[in-house]
Amino acid sequence: MSIWPDPTHLARAGEKGRLEEAELQVVDPAALQGDLPGDISPPPGQAKTGDRRERLLPRLADPDAPLLVVEGLTTHFRLGGQTVHAVDDVSFSLEDGEALGIAGESGCGKTTTALSLLRLLPSNAEVVGGSVRLFGIDLLTKSDKALQRYRWREISIIFQGAMNALNPVQRVGDQIAEPMIERQGLSKTAAAKRAGELLELVGIPKARRKAYPHELSGGMRQRAMIAMALACDPAVIIGDEPTTALDVMVQAQILELLEDLREKLGLSLILITHDLSVLAETCDRVMIMYAGRVAEEGPVGLVYGTPRHPYTQMLLRAFPDVLSGRRDLGTIPGSPPDLRTPPPGCRFHPRCPAAMDVCRTEVPPEVTFDDRVRVACHLYPPGSDGASRPLPTAVAAGEPT
Amino acid sequence: MSAAPLTVEGARRARWRLRLRNTRQFARRYATRRDGMVGAAILLVFAALAIAPTLFVGPLETVTTATGAPLEPPSLEHLLGTDEAGRDMLNLTVHGARVSMVIGLLATVITILLGAVIGIVSGFVGGRTDQVLMRLTDFFLVLPTFVLAIVLAPIILDIVGTDAEFFSIRATLFVIVVVIGLTSWASTARIIRSQTLSVRERMYVDRARVIGGGRGHIMRRHILPNVINLIVANTVLVFAGAIFTETTLAFIGLGDPFSPSWGQLLNAAQTAGAPGLGAWWMIVPPAFCVVVVILSFTLVGNALDDVLNPKAGLRR
Amino acid sequence: MNARYLARQSAQAIFTIVMIVLLNFILFRMMPGSPDRVNPRNPNITVEQRQAAKARWGLDKPLIPDQLVAFVSSTLQGDLGYSMKYQGQPVVEVIGDRFWPTILLIGLAEVIAIFGGLTLGAYTGWRRGGKTDRVGNGLSLILYSMPYFVIGMPLIIIFAAGLGWFPTSGMLTAGATYTGPLDFLADLVSHLILPLATISLGLIGGYSILMRSSVTETRAEDYIATARAKGLSDGKILRAHAIPNALLPAVTLIAINLGYVVGGAITAEIVFNWPGLGTLTVDALNARDYPVLQGIFLFLGVSVVLANFGADIVYGYLDPRVRR
Repeated sequence: MSIWPDPTHLARAGEKGRLEEAELQVVDPAALQGDLPGDISPPPGQAKTGDRRERLLPRLADPDAPLLVVEGLTTHFRLGGQTVHAVDDVSFSLEDGEALGIAGESGCGKTTTALSLLRLLPSNAEVVGGSVRLFGIDLLTKSDKALQRYRWREISIIFQGAMNALNPVQRVGDQIAEPMIERQGLSKTAAAKRAGELLELVGIPKARRKAYPHELSGGMRQRAMIAMALACDPAVIIGDEPTTALDVMVQAQILELLEDLREKLGLSLILITHDLSVLAETCDRVMIMYAGRVAEEGPVGLVYGTPRHPYTQMLLRAFPDVLSGRRDLGTIPGSPPDLRTPPPGCRFHPRCPAAMDVCRTEVPPEVTFDDRVRVACHLYPPGSDGASRPLPTAVAAGEPT
Repeated sequence: MSAAPLTVEGARRARWRLRLRNTRQFARRYATRRDGMVGAAILLVFAALAIAPTLFVGPLETVTTATGAPLEPPSLEHLLGTDEAGRDMLNLTVHGARVSMVIGLLATVITILLGAVIGIVSGFVGGRTDQVLMRLTDFFLVLPTFVLAIVLAPIILDIVGTDAEFFSIRATLFVIVVVIGLTSWASTARIIRSQTLSVRERMYVDRARVIGGGRGHIMRRHILPNVINLIVANTVLVFAGAIFTETTLAFIGLGDPFSPSWGQLLNAAQTAGAPGLGAWWMIVPPAFCVVVVILSFTLVGNALDDVLNPKAGLRR
Repeated sequence: MNARYLARQSAQAIFTIVMIVLLNFILFRMMPGSPDRVNPRNPNITVEQRQAAKARWGLDKPLIPDQLVAFVSSTLQGDLGYSMKYQGQPVVEVIGDRFWPTILLIGLAEVIAIFGGLTLGAYTGWRRGGKTDRVGNGLSLILYSMPYFVIGMPLIIIFAAGLGWFPTSGMLTAGATYTGPLDFLADLVSHLILPLATISLGLIGGYSILMRSSVTETRAEDYIATARAKGLSDGKILRAHAIPNALLPAVTLIAINLGYVVGGAITAEIVFNWPGLGTLTVDALNARDYPVLQGIFLFLGVSVVLANFGADIVYGYLDPRVRR
């Protein structure tokens, strides 16, 4: 029997990700004072079992607004006296129950973007601009201590390579129970019981609660991490390359599990990966990043089917397609820029076969077209029809012209 | 790289140019380490004192050429006071620098040679040899080597005879050098072995490209250059340890009463009852020098290690 | 605790002890001039004792296997020969007399240093930068560079000879009579404080540096990032995640360090004239009392091996990965 209620009460009837007016709980403003309910622990001993998954929404929240809205996020690293512009003016939104994929080459800023949402950055990094609104509340204006309260309870993370992301000297069950005890005030026994139930949910026998991480296989460790991420019942789960370290069969199982949980629990998911095929399977929308900026973003089918941005096109060319005939895999000549001295204008212009003069000087504006695809490229200026401008096949394949 | 002709001469010159560039880069990076620079400066001072002590304080005062009255506290005449035989402490301490540093240097050479050879051979050859050598190394790591040194020294002295001389160094000193070397190599061997193992991993890819050349050749020309960075950083730290051990051994009485290493001076102080008498000037100068030199070596060693063997910086 | 792990560690310990006994044999029997070291023409040893020694160890028989077997079997029976300096007293007795003062001193010092050093190191390693870190690290480096007697001598000069708070040497006041156990304890403690402070300070420096670097490395691990992402408080992360993992290499290094501690303690005992194994070693050294030296080497070597074994057990308790 599932511990989670059927989340259809969150009105997923019809269009995904829209909240029904009726599901808004009326909130006592005095209790909230403009903060998210993440910091209101249930009275000790009262475990959140069975019942309705209550998500108290602040009165200020707009029921039509997306769950998470990121605007102009900019994050810099300080490296040996120089500034690395890791994330530059990145914006996106996440609807309730939606899965957004963030893709791009290594070093394009996808992980940094995700970590910036909760300011989980190393000490030499700093979010220098933008806003991150969860339920309408800007997290970036919160102090570190206040932000701590939202971690895991509203947004949790599944890191890449669970072997290192799990404490090697602590039992897996204890690690899953830990946030419930520390952050939600559950008793040790109640939390342990919940941890067992979570493990069952992700397909691990409850008895493995006592196991240490090194005693589990790679796939099971990743499942355990997923169970841990679910512990406090978050609104959003960020998966940072959750399947990259696994072999293909296990990868498929994990993705299936994530999809399953998404349906059952109405989770919203941000999936970060450099593997485009993974995104195609699990995500509703995809955002392609390059050198710290957004290149293209939109529904998966459209972005993959009719890619617009030259980078997207070349990226897709680089992935083999099982169904199509043999062809030469494309490569993108050159390498990503050094973000300490990013190129002026469009950061892709040094490698872009369609680069024009304006690309070297002006940052391309982000334009959203009618089919809800957003592109940042001078080939698609504001006011244009937004039709895809495919690169010549040879060029897209990276062959010398 | 400029188009150097593909000759042996051209290749050699290219290698030297590369080494020069690397050295300059290294020097620049090292200069940013304040602790390393301070340590290096201090060591230079002591090296100067060790090389030419007579230049600074005149010849070594012996019991017969003592210039002051016994146990005089510091005064204008004797800046650091005198010992129980009336010898000027400043004179003794500066000359002590030479003895301590020379012993330290020689002992370090032995330690590094032993440790590096065993480490590289063990790591590279692997198999049975590796197992046996590692057992031996672990044994020496567990052993209270200091006690071993204390036990070994008199035995060797007995065998050799106290008056013998090796390379114009008195037997007592020579024995200390040998004993320190024999008992300190184990941790060096361990460190170098693990580095050799990781280099060997990389080597297996390159080995296909190594045309001819037996194991010895590979060890010398391929493994050694990659391990040398580690050896250099380790050498400095071993030097610190050698001075530490020499000082302690001399303090216990295994030193040479005629060559006043700092440990020997402290031994003399202890035997003369200086602490109880409050004769701090017999104790502080050599003690201060010992601590400062060991500290400087440690700072330099740590700085070298950071510069030569950078580990991944701040991760998540 | 896995039986296999225990068995493996025990086997290693026994093997090392065997090696030590063998090394003992090599040093004292196989080196040139050896028989004289065991049975010298020393007026302190009676002719009967010398004959007995000859018979016991078969000094006129070939080295291997006869002498070796005799040596090993008599060692196992606790017969380590007779001291040359102490009028033919059995070595075991001579060592036994001096054993407890050393254990008292080193044991207490290690306990203090481990708690103090590891705590200081963990704290400074976690909160890098800032004044406490720099001062703490600097002090630790300096202490780490000081041989124990270099720490001890100034302490005597300042606190004993100078301020007169503590006696300058010895474990107990010579020729004292005590009115009761408390009186005895008071005398012991007043003598104990300076040597204890000396060795503790010497150790704290090293342990603090060790733990600091261990915690610094642990801080960069992924599971710490997970803990931060979970919204746990800084202190909780340090206590529940960082320290349990940082302790692992620390314990290993502390165990390896035990051999050095023993050596250093010898020098500390000399400075304070503490009647333990340290001063015994130096006396035996000066008198070339080889049987005693041999006995001390064996004893200290075995002690260190046993202590390492204990550390292995502790490590197995802390790190579940080795237990299989």
